[in-house]
Amino acid sequence: MGETTPEAEPRKLAEEARDRVRFEEEALELADQVYRVARRFVSTREEAEDLMQETYARAFRAWRSYQPGTNLRAWLLRILTNLNIDRGRRQQRTPDLQPLEEGDYYLYNRLEESGREPNVDQERVDERLSQDDVVAALSAVPHDFRDVIVLVDIGDFSYADAAQILEIPIGTVMSRLHRGRRILKREMAEQAVGSAS
Amino acid sequence: MSSGAAVDPCEKCEEMLQPYLDRELTDAERAEAERHLDGCSYCRKRYRFEEALRRFVRQATVEEMPPALKQKLADLRTPLF
Repeated sequence: MGETTPEAEPRKLAEEARDRVRFEEEALELADQVYRVARRFVSTREEAEDLMQETYARAFRAWRSYQPGTNLRAWLLRILTNLNIDRGRRQQRTPDLQPLEEGDYYLYNRLEESGREPNVDQERVDERLSQDDVVAALSAVPHDFRDVIVLVDIGDFSYADAAQILEIPIGTVMSRLHRGRRILKREMAEQAVGSAS
Repeated sequence: MSSGAAVDPCEKCEEMLQPYLDRELTDAERAEAERHLDGCSYCRKRYRFEEALRRFVRQATVEEMPPALKQKLADLRTPLF
């Protein structure tokens, strides 16, 4: 009947404190995974660290708006993405409007043409591309496309989660992923065998 | 590479590469891609390369969180008292 007893208020406060502690612990357990995405959203480790701290500070303040049972990692990434936009990084982006003729087999074909046929049986892609080459290639992908690649291919988010985090339609996630991966392969081909001309 | 009539089957297979690896194809599309891959070493090699490449990209770009940052995040928790 909605009656409040003298014991009800402290009990409510205790329950809330317990829920908050549980939320904070769960959020902190996900920090490594959130950082992996944050690190590739921005250029430097320092920016990623700042973004993480702002994200967790905001998440801890707004913990009541998280709906238990839903995807907490996606919820945290949504906050992080919004903060990243607020930092003005998005205004600097330039959409990649150049025609992209390279298909999905482009990198393989370039390696093959260069006389270094990819040794796929041994999965030794790393013989031709260093870790730094891959990081540089990913950095060269325009933000809109890179963000989707980072969420899906590095963060292991579904198309639906990526759409929710970036607040874009799922079809846009798919088209950006498709184009972004092709751009990434073009960049990696340049790192591995030089530019095409 | 197989050559064909109106639609080059290898071109079609190339278009299906990404949704195939993302497990976003329908059962019928997946079966169609696998039928083609069974008989086409050109596409099969490229599919296997793409799978290996994705794993490599993931491994190469993962940077672990500095332990000091973890502590800073923990310090942001609301004090109990």
